[in-house]
Amino acid sequence: MSLNIEILFPEVNYLFGDGSNVRYLKKCLPDADFIEDHFNEEPFFVRNSPSLIYCGGMTEQYQEQIISQLMPWRDLLKERIREGVPMLFTSNAIELLARFIQNEDGSRVPGLDLYPFGAKRDRMNRFNCLFKGKFQDMDIIGFKTQFTFAYGKTDYRPFMQVDRGTGMNPKAAGEGIHDHNLFATYLVGPFLIMNPHFTKYFLQDVMGLDDVSLPWEDALLDAYNERLAEFSDPETKY
Amino acid sequence: MEKVYHKDAQFYAVLAALKAVTAGLQAVGRNATQYPGRQATRLCPDFLGKIDKPKRLIAVTGTNGKTTVSNLIADVLESLGLDLVSNRFGSNVDSGIASALIKASDLAGHMKTKYGVLEVDERMTTKIFPYVTPQILVVTNLFRDSYRRNAHTQFISSILNQNIPRSSRLVLNGEDLISGRLAPDNDRVYFGIECRDENETSPVSIIQDMRACPVCGSILEYDYIRYNHIGRAHCPKCGLSSPELDYAVEKIDYENRRVFIRTPKGRTDVRLLGDNITDVYNTITAIAALCEYGVGLKKITAAFENMQLPQTRFQEVMVGQKRIVNIMAKGQNPVGTSRVLDYIRHQPGRKAVIMMPDDYFDRQKSSENTAWFFDTDYELLNDPSIVSIVDGGPRFRDMHIRLLMAGIPEEKMRFCDSEEKIFPLIETDGVDTFFIVHDLVDAIDMQARDLMKKLEKKLQEGEGK
Repeated sequence: MSLNIEILFPEVNYLFGDGSNVRYLKKCLPDADFIEDHFNEEPFFVRNSPSLIYCGGMTEQYQEQIISQLMPWRDLLKERIREGVPMLFTSNAIELLARFIQNEDGSRVPGLDLYPFGAKRDRMNRFNCLFKGKFQDMDIIGFKTQFTFAYGKTDYRPFMQVDRGTGMNPKAAGEGIHDHNLFATYLVGPFLIMNPHFTKYFLQDVMGLDDVSLPWEDALLDAYNERLAEFSDPETKY
Repeated sequence: MEKVYHKDAQFYAVLAALKAVTAGLQAVGRNATQYPGRQATRLCPDFLGKIDKPKRLIAVTGTNGKTTVSNLIADVLESLGLDLVSNRFGSNVDSGIASALIKASDLAGHMKTKYGVLEVDERMTTKIFPYVTPQILVVTNLFRDSYRRNAHTQFISSILNQNIPRSSRLVLNGEDLISGRLAPDNDRVYFGIECRDENETSPVSIIQDMRACPVCGSILEYDYIRYNHIGRAHCPKCGLSSPELDYAVEKIDYENRRVFIRTPKGRTDVRLLGDNITDVYNTITAIAALCEYGVGLKKITAAFENMQLPQTRFQEVMVGQKRIVNIMAKGQNPVGTSRVLDYIRHQPGRKAVIMMPDDYFDRQKSSENTAWFFDTDYELLNDPSIVSIVDGGPRFRDMHIRLLMAGIPEEKMRFCDSEEKIFPLIETDGVDTFFIVHDLVDAIDMQARDLMKKLEKKLQEGEGK
């Protein structure tokens, strides 16, 4: 069976190193078809059931344009989530799925309203932190760099439980969204490269692929183990 | 209408105190480029508004090249005998600019000179442009920079659009559809490179922050791309296009280090101070700014004949037939680093690349976000002429992965967890040029200089044998 990996708006959705997830997936799945959705075009998932939908970080202006672009297919996207289509949203792509995104002046941009939270922007105070959390029995590590926090029912279906660092907001115990086979997280950058155990799980258990071996797996594990030890050190400032 | 700030008793008291502090710091050999300004803006928040500014002020901002362009402009003006205010030895944030102005003012807060060149950090224009109105404002370019601080180019563009003074005449990059569209109501001229570059740059960059039309969202069509989003583009749907150039490089002669340029005042050729495409951009940018400032073209070109690039950014020594180059690549700046890697790729002979990219401050108590490694075009090092790569620093495991992703053979790579451990890993046989690529931070710069000396000594010993 051929794999169709749908990348949502790669012309803009690849900030903060997020594009490396797609480049690594291309190394993991050299025979897969990578389909790029562009502005003013119908997304691939409208008429197809992709093997994976990926969406990375973007500017605030493009967030609003993309929400408008996807809004006509909002119910269909919801259906694809229920059908169990694997999806990975990183960085502020998670906010596309929110009820709203609130600007500093209180005005609100309606989101796709697929999950019960809203994001509040504060562009004069950028938030950065290290992150360590737990998904099943896996330690997930990563970085956050963002203008927003999420509020509302942020622990509705969390992807991870926060161990150290900050979750959906400074008081939230959870981080991200995990619903059926949708995984969404505020973590940025080479998420799949930094978390080889999760990546293997995602390819095998979520996408249902057999005989998965990660490119340069030993190097990935070396980096992961060292960073995990560093992030577990109580002296490490988050 | 620009707001007028009146000097008051508090201002005079702060100024007097900080002029005394400045004199004291200078007496003990310090530059006083930061502390007095920091105290001034702390004690008197609108200090920058109250102190006099030079009547004829050029400011330079942008992501890459602003230090070099500011220095080039200042060098030309100083060569003409003008007494200048500048922050070239200090910082480019509000405190650095306040420090420079304190030094150049008298006790009444009046400026002792009418000319000034200020490098301005693009993120900090919020704290500078409300008080300082440059006659000429140069924006070199806008690229993705530190994610932690600068987020993305739309964020920086919006900050600049909110803060660029309406009366400033803009000198903009006509091959950059991000910075070239700033402050659309301001008067402007555009600079750029019109000819093909014989050292073909790398049109396939990981970062391309202007793929979608900023007006209608359609995919832009590029007539050419030099690197990243630098090039000429048009939108097939709404008609947006790159502007015509007022100051254009028409020919580059790397061999003889000359560029041939067209300006509104005529055509001429000028000495090129480096041999990289970014040196060409820096040259045409500085010339455009100086011409708009009112300096004659002949005076500018004459001044360029005697100028040099600052040594903190580029140093080279020859040992026999072998060359060692110490070159700065600003950390956490993927585009700036990619430009350096592209420069190295184009250099002749067999090359060794020694890298010190890791952040010095993050390692002290925290951990660096290395996502920027994955936005940097390390694929440029995947070239047969690059025979070895040594990377030293705490994030070497991430760099190992990054270089593997770039397709670089494992046998070419050596790694260690600290810059201090690099030297024994450098193989000197079969290498014509050694490039030491390092961050700007003083501690890392010192490591790079130290490594350069050790390598020079080793090569000299080899020559002796």
